Amino acid sequence: MSTTQVFDESRVASLAEQRPQAPWGTRTASFRTIVILAVFIPAAIVTGLWWYTDIAKPVLMVAGYLPLQLAAAIVAAVALRGKKSAFDAVIIVLAIGATVFSLVVLVSVLWSIVTKGLEAMSTAFLFQNNEYISPSTPLGYGGVGHAVVGTVVIVGISALIAVPLGVMTAIYITEVRGRAVPYVRFFVQAMSGVPSVVAGLFILTVLILSGALNQSAFAAGLAYAILMLPTVARTAEEVLRLVPEELRTGALALGSTRAKTVLRVVVPAAKTGIITAAILGVARVVGETAPLLLTALKNDKTVLNPFAEPISALPTYIFDNVAQPYPDAVIRAWGAALTLMIIVAILFTLTRLFSSRGPSK
Amino acid sequence: MSSTETEFRDLQSAATSHRGDRVFNRTITGAAFTALVVLAGITVFLGLQAIPVLQTQGLDFLTTSIWSPPDYGIWGMLYGSVLLSVVALVIAVPASLLLSVFMVFLAPTWVAKVLTNLVDLMAAIPSVILGLWAFYILSPVSEEWQQLLNQYLGWIPFFQNESGNFSGTPFTAGFVLAIMMIPIVTSVTREVLGRTPPELINAAEALGCSLWTMLRYVALPYGRGGLIGGVMLGLGRALGETIAVFFVLKIVFDPVNYYNVIESGGGSVATLIVAKFGEASGPYETQLLLAAGFFLFMMTLLVNVIANLIVNRTGRLQK
Repeated sequence: MSTTQVFDESRVASLAEQRPQAPWGTRTASFRTIVILAVFIPAAIVTGLWWYTDIAKPVLMVAGYLPLQLAAAIVAAVALRGKKSAFDAVIIVLAIGATVFSLVVLVSVLWSIVTKGLEAMSTAFLFQNNEYISPSTPLGYGGVGHAVVGTVVIVGISALIAVPLGVMTAIYITEVRGRAVPYVRFFVQAMSGVPSVVAGLFILTVLILSGALNQSAFAAGLAYAILMLPTVARTAEEVLRLVPEELRTGALALGSTRAKTVLRVVVPAAKTGIITAAILGVARVVGETAPLLLTALKNDKTVLNPFAEPISALPTYIFDNVAQPYPDAVIRAWGAALTLMIIVAILFTLTRLFSSRGPSK
Repeated sequence: MSSTETEFRDLQSAATSHRGDRVFNRTITGAAFTALVVLAGITVFLGLQAIPVLQTQGLDFLTTSIWSPPDYGIWGMLYGSVLLSVVALVIAVPASLLLSVFMVFLAPTWVAKVLTNLVDLMAAIPSVILGLWAFYILSPVSEEWQQLLNQYLGWIPFFQNESGNFSGTPFTAGFVLAIMMIPIVTSVTREVLGRTPPELINAAEALGCSLWTMLRYVALPYGRGGLIGGVMLGLGRALGETIAVFFVLKIVFDPVNYYNVIESGGGSVATLIVAKFGEASGPYETQLLLAAGFFLFMMTLLVNVIANLIVNRTGRLQK
């Protein structure tokens, strides 16, 4: 064997990049049988108790199924791997339990929105406004048209303000690289923790109580912009970092100025990423309610003028219809929730499409 | 100084002395300070409203719990926000940690990918929708759970309930907050655990560690800073959450509900602001709410700054 073989570079490199082997992941035939038994036996016992006794279901799950499943998993683990893996069994059962719990919650939320929301859905519901409609009006009349318009106007205003500012903040951090970079990043992070109700109070006290603005789409857009800016800035920063350094040095070497390098080379190279940042920013604010209650109030008419009068949006429409004593009003709230969730789902899908297609990742 | 270095300096100063560049640099630098301006603006303008309130109400505004003219105090609300967050943490932290352990160390890659997307989707659900769901779907179920908790574990002080009324409890509100926190905390903890160096995991495994020992002595200590920071980011969000809590919590000023999490009635500063804003009887009550907002802002800012310092020190965001 020659020395070149021993120090085969590709082998050395592959060793360095080797993924953890995870010995707890190896499987054999008897392993499978024992695991299947350990899953099946507790489930069978609990199913029996579920149908043939009147133990309260939550008690059965927490005081019956969980300990049984843990015991079965521990027995199986000790039989397969020896005593020291008993704790592994506990972790695995609890980890799967936590995952199932989160999924159950998610499915419950989505399922209730879709099934109850569909009861309200109709073209009238999507396009009509709430004028001449009272909570007791039957479902065939009135809808969320005005609220959809309101959401689009308010979110549009905030995007017009927050997206350029957010992207410029990101450019400062990654391109201008001034002395204040650590501070700017710190402030952006601190800003991302501003509670939405505080953003609303800020606009309320500075612009509305001082008499500069009405409660209107523009005021609400400003409050939304406060919440949107940090999301846009942080995402745009990560995206701009992914632009290869060669593009910058190349452009500078060709005699471009700093400004032109950023505007004509770096930003276009990160275009899809910046669009993703904008969409994430929109998704962050589109369901925020508290700022609207303070800065936009509500309006049953369709409002297009962003300065003139109060305006309703989807979150405030939901807010107004929850806990009404009229079943039709409640169904309207679910319908509006479905409409809002569809908007969120579209934004969510768009970010996935852009981030998988773009140069990033 | 070597000649190349001087040349580089000259080039650099030539570049920054270009007029377009100077304008560009100034514009961008100005925009970058929006965050500072907004934070300072919130502190100053809400603080200005808090001063007269503290002058008229004194420190009682922070230490008593009452909302009937002419006396106002938000102690119960401040305490309530913390109590709700503690309930939320007790549920969300173990759930998020276990969920991220499952995604990083146990699940096959494709399952982990699907779960990552689902967790992100969960984070994208607006809080008003969670509130609607909590009001109509969760609350009845939660009342049943709480009755059982009271029935079987009522001897524990936390699970005492004398009124027999299980609606509008801190437990239900904290549970909703936990559901909001789980995706936020999980997305950080998943990333932190996923960054445990493979060499360390391999070494632990070579020494004969089981999954539990590996987690206990390698992954958790290695990612400790990031994990704590992630939890605190979630905590900051829980403290400031308004609408989801509004639908499921009955706001009570007096007596303050200190630890009976399944007793009806509790407090939350953020929810107080929204609940009282509509019925505020004049400029003074609005000012009280602005002052309450100021203290809420200070509380969340503190939690958030500490969280970010911890997360940054562990280098999560310095990619």
